[in-house]
Amino acid sequence: MSKKILIIDDDPNVVDYLEALFEDNGYTTFSAGDAKEGLEIAKREIPDLITLDIEMPGDWGPRFYRKMVQQKTLKNTPVIVISGLSGSEHAIGRAVASITKPFDRDELLKIVKDNIT
Amino acid sequence: MFKKILFPTSATEACDHAARVAFNMARQYDANLSVFHVLGVPTRGFSQVVIDVKTKEEVELDDEYIAWVEEEVKTHYAKQLENAKKCDINITIGFPHREILRAARAEKPDLIIMGGSTGDEEDSVYKKSMIGSTLQRVAKSAACPILVVNRPAASFWGGMSNVVFGTDFSKASDAAFKFVCKLVKKLDCELHIFHALDIGTLHMGKMMTQDEIEFKIREDLRRIRGKYIDKIKDINDYSFDVWEGLPYLEIVKYAREKHADLIVMAHHTQKTGSKDARLGSNIEQVMVRAGCPVISVNK
Repeated sequence: MSKKILIIDDDPNVVDYLEALFEDNGYTTFSAGDAKEGLEIAKREIPDLITLDIEMPGDWGPRFYRKMVQQKTLKNTPVIVISGLSGSEHAIGRAVASITKPFDRDELLKIVKDNIT
Repeated sequence: MFKKILFPTSATEACDHAARVAFNMARQYDANLSVFHVLGVPTRGFSQVVIDVKTKEEVELDDEYIAWVEEEVKTHYAKQLENAKKCDINITIGFPHREILRAARAEKPDLIIMGGSTGDEEDSVYKKSMIGSTLQRVAKSAACPILVVNRPAASFWGGMSNVVFGTDFSKASDAAFKFVCKLVKKLDCELHIFHALDIGTLHMGKMMTQDEIEFKIREDLRRIRGKYIDKIKDINDYSFDVWEGLPYLEIVKYAREKHADLIVMAHHTQKTGSKDARLGSNIEQVMVRAGCPVISVNK
């Protein structure tokens, strides 16, 4: 069974790009345009990895992360921060990686491969 | 809650993360943001020659020079200023802590936001200063709370929602508690009340046994219930805890564990004017180490 990746980003172009990138590489994807929807999908699907934007309408990425780790089933899920904000590597201290947009696809795929279990 | 914010800045990298918080808060809470920069120290009283803070060179002070510095500040924060609704920039000369306190008295802000030390104390123009001495002196004397962003990691992202209140049950902590209650209710945050039982120092000349530590923890939990819990029953989400250890480290660890985006603490002295002016050592260490902004409440 293929590994599941949840993409949380308010930019539909980024979501489309990441969906195509991950699915071309054998992963199953789910996507959400904000943190609230992201948490609902995460609880339902229990993804193996999450890519998370920082600045989004409603709750920002760090708040999503805090709510996520309160869930027993999600607290160890690896999170990759993908954001256009400078300094976003500091936003979620326990993220497995932080990538600034625009990003290198091979670099992202390597990080996903290294962290998905 | 925050209608007027004073943001004293050196307009250097050291204040960039504090700037992120200041501009973010001003936008989020529709506050007036006053960006305040002290450009240099006069070589002698009322002198028109000042030592520039950045270049350390003596420069003659005239309108042209002040306009140039203002332009530099605007350039440094150009991106943030684009989205700022209510913001003004004020430039002055003098010793930073005095000028900041003077501005705070005049403008009566609800909050002062400050960054960490510029870290160049070795060749600083403020020869007698220690690291972060401006912050120490302002935090000690200002009438309003001071929000400090000392580490890059400590700038919050997306506003406050999860607040840790560190208490030592002192009178000063009561004032900080009043502030944190108001803040948590207004901004609909979660509140975590925390006390650290200090086992770093000897008690009555001997180390505490584990039984004594656990007895003290139970006692302090009872104290939190008695002192605070009745007053926060209308807060939706709260918790409280007591951990043993070195207080400042335990507070930092607890805040990290709770994914807090703000720590609120009191400090313990308002004596001013001394060159040895220091904050309480615990809050100072928390400010230096915390992974989120820290608000120091004076009164």
